Amino acid sequence: MDNRTAIIKQPDNISSFNDVYKLQKEYQEALILDNSNPDFIWIGEHQLCYTLGRGSNYDNLLFSLDDEKYDVFKINRGGEVTCHMPGQLVTYLVLDLKNFNKDLNWYLRKIEEIIIKILGTFHIDCHSRKGFTGVWIGNKKIASIGIGCKRWITINGFSINVDCELENFNKIVPCGIDNCLMANMIDYNKNLNIQEVKRIVKKIIQEEFNFDFVSK
Amino acid sequence: MSHEIFMPALSSTMTEGKIVEWLKNPGDKVERGESVLVVESDKADMDVESFQDGYLAAVLMPAGSTAPVGETIGLIVENEDEIASVQEQNKGNQTEVSTSDQLELVSNKTEEKPVVQTENIKKEAEKVVLKSEKPVPSFNVDQINAATSNVSSRIIASPRAKKLASQMGVDLAKVHGSGPHGRIQADDILKANGQPVSIPWIGEGGSPASIPGANLGVERKPETSGNSFGNPGETVQFNTLQKAVNKNMESSLDVPCFRVGYSINTDKLDNFYKKVKQNGVTMTALLVKAVAKTLKKHPQVNSSFSENGISYPENINIAVAVAMEDGGLITPVLKEPCNTDLFELSREWKDLVTRSRSKQLEPDEYSTGTFTLSNLGMFGVDRFDAILPPGTGAILAIASSKPTVVANSDGSISVKKIMQVNLTADHRVIYGADGASFLKDLAYLIENEPETLVS
Repeated sequence: MDNRTAIIKQPDNISSFNDVYKLQKEYQEALILDNSNPDFIWIGEHQLCYTLGRGSNYDNLLFSLDDEKYDVFKINRGGEVTCHMPGQLVTYLVLDLKNFNKDLNWYLRKIEEIIIKILGTFHIDCHSRKGFTGVWIGNKKIASIGIGCKRWITINGFSINVDCELENFNKIVPCGIDNCLMANMIDYNKNLNIQEVKRIVKKIIQEEFNFDFVSK
Repeated sequence: MSHEIFMPALSSTMTEGKIVEWLKNPGDKVERGESVLVVESDKADMDVESFQDGYLAAVLMPAGSTAPVGETIGLIVENEDEIASVQEQNKGNQTEVSTSDQLELVSNKTEEKPVVQTENIKKEAEKVVLKSEKPVPSFNVDQINAATSNVSSRIIASPRAKKLASQMGVDLAKVHGSGPHGRIQADDILKANGQPVSIPWIGEGGSPASIPGANLGVERKPETSGNSFGNPGETVQFNTLQKAVNKNMESSLDVPCFRVGYSINTDKLDNFYKKVKQNGVTMTALLVKAVAKTLKKHPQVNSSFSENGISYPENINIAVAVAMEDGGLITPVLKEPCNTDLFELSREWKDLVTRSRSKQLEPDEYSTGTFTLSNLGMFGVDRFDAILPPGTGAILAIASSKPTVVANSDGSISVKKIMQVNLTADHRVIYGADGASFLKDLAYLIENEPETLVS
């Protein structure tokens, strides 16, 4: 497979969810208009917010939508409600699957594989579960996946809990799974920090998709 | 003229998709390339686009429902004045989830064109959904507004319950939820439906079409989580298929069985498989062929017990156990493999698997086996034993072919691919010596003459 050029952004500060979502959509639209445009990867952190997929069940939000304390976004991805916050590393991939494999199941499994490799780098043993997309350590969820797709151009991606306030997940039924327990990477490897995880995420994505990264 | 919108395939393994949301309402104008609805499979969403300018005339499957890949889920017309007539014809379908029979009726009524043209449209639909051609006018709805969706219809149900309800046609509004705060659980749907319906899927991991020995160099990550049909704390009723398997397994307790095993070197078989694989030959077909050829020389192992004595079937028909993703298993039968060449046999097997998936096997395609194969090699197991299906005399359990250190007769040591097989047989008709000599000849064939399996 030839290497593809991808634009990578990995801000050090906390980013607004809305701004990054708009940015993803711009890159997706550009790829739809002309598939010679580059793919786009974003790795960073958000302020506390809750996001729902288009098919999400509002019953999995355990607070009122009118409650102004909470930022809620409905976005173009599959899956149920989840939440983002500082200390959780979010990765978005705007990829043209026509250059890889036009198969969303393949893509979801590929992302799981990538996350398992990332955690493996930090000697954390984790696994996927059939029928429960995401990555797990025992019965605890360490990483969540949600993908949108238009003309095989993907949007959104995955989030890994590195060192975040897991209590925020108590305000929702994560992924629509009752009694779903969440985990942080830091609990399994005291010596890591989020900047290091960010570096490994970039490295493994680059290797797995054969990207030439261009910063912009 | 109306054009159909089909449920697209989001992946090669997808058999059904869920309609998450219709982005257009019946009567709305749609442009070529514009997103009309959103389909979800697992955690991935896909926008489905219109393949031509026109109007969305009818929504045949409502948001929230599940439809098989290829099913007509909506209709688009070219002119505004056609909307009314199409809607009129589809009245019954638009308010409730249609059955496929109704849909068939609909397409017959609305389509004046010959079948060939429908085919073209199907192709075109695929093309436009999957390929990018022209710039797309973007669909400008502010999606970042959480309050827009249907909050009013608050039926509280678990995702699994919703999926089951959609598959079984159970109206969630009429189900009493037993979960916390009246949340509807999967159990409640099963109860409401009385007899649970089984939609068979071939388990990906249980695909009998390969053994890991064939995938040289491809290290698969071990899957550490197992399959489960229910959640912790639940008791899930057996589906029809599981009940049938239970009955068969219980009746095997009346049969005095014995087991005999053999280690077979598959180096030559693997090499031969590598050569013929590109011609569409599957490992299952190779194993079936080898077993059938050996059975021809050992008719005793193809026999079965009957009240009147030892029954020798007229044919050799090999059944192969296939696990269903939602529970139970089925045993599609390859009839008379000795009379079919390897390539045709492989095609037959693929066809049987495809039709098992959509539950379209005729009874004689899964109940006429005279000998059964069960292959768990794809999981890397080194050995197991199988339970004898009723009405037959023997079943062969095939394990993974693994590189093994072997001591040779000349005192040297080498590494060879070794596959353990284990025969379970009814001792009333098949004796130890019969089973052992059958295995010896099977091993000889696989180890020395795999190329004779071609015809």
